[in-house]
Amino acid sequence: MTTSPARVHESDLQLVAAILKRDRKATARLIEVHADAVHRYVWRRLTPKVDLVEDIVQDVFVAAWRGLSNYSGEASLQTWLVSIARNKVEDHYRRTLGISLKSFEPDDAPLVAASVDLVAAVDRGRQENRAAQVLSRIPYEYALALRWRYWEDRSARDIAAATGRTEKAVERLLARARAKFKLFWEETA
Amino acid sequence: MTNDEFDNGEIQRILRAAEAETPAAVSSRLKSRIFSKLIQMEQEQGPLRVLSESRSAGEILCIFETVVAALPSDNLQSRNPCAVCHARILGERVEQAPLYWPGCPYTTFCGH
Repeated sequence: MTTSPARVHESDLQLVAAILKRDRKATARLIEVHADAVHRYVWRRLTPKVDLVEDIVQDVFVAAWRGLSNYSGEASLQTWLVSIARNKVEDHYRRTLGISLKSFEPDDAPLVAASVDLVAAVDRGRQENRAAQVLSRIPYEYALALRWRYWEDRSARDIAAATGRTEKAVERLLARARAKFKLFWEETA
Repeated sequence: MTNDEFDNGEIQRILRAAEAETPAAVSSRLKSRIFSKLIQMEQEQGPLRVLSESRSAGEILCIFETVVAALPSDNLQSRNPCAVCHARILGERVEQAPLYWPGCPYTTFCGH
């Protein structure tokens, strides 16, 4: 059985080749074409820290430029850039939550149980804006934990391994984050 | 289903909906700063591509670059006129700066 060859993104490879020749116009095109996608990805995961979003978007392009010679064209340049953005965002999650999770390590506080029925709330209109508002109002560490868990599909075990903390501490943080989220969710109803 | 499992599912649904929210577009100032940073890094690595080569490759040069591209020396053509150009300074500091030079990257970032 033969496998079909991976699609090669020729135009992206040509752009990269020009940048590797230090062509300033090609460098400008890289930013003009791809900055929005990278910014969108980072903004959604780090808002409301606007300054941080800008720093990380710049870091993504600097890291991409340093690693351009490794770009093979198997994935589109945009996919490649967003994968770098994902690593940068997760680095931030890891650093931020690694510190916050210290306070969740003691085994003396009960896990916060769910008590609010969200089914009706889910059906109400304008969920996107409302959820985004709630994410910006709850403590930043809680918002990061929820995004990491639910947007990036990282399990509590994954987060524990990434931050060097225990799974139990991560579960506690997530439980409190969910509880806080629900509290504000109801307030904005 | 336990309360916590129920919570997991519902919160996931709500957050996934929030993920679809459209953020503001990236600022022209940020694009300008990133461009200036990358060009600075490229210059630290070696001379920039000679402007007449860029033009031969189909790139559009701004009026200042066109003047530089007419110079006979590759060394001079590899320099970065943006380093001393008001368009770079405005582009890095003013959102949607009033720049209208065709072929200028900072003008492009401002959407003009």
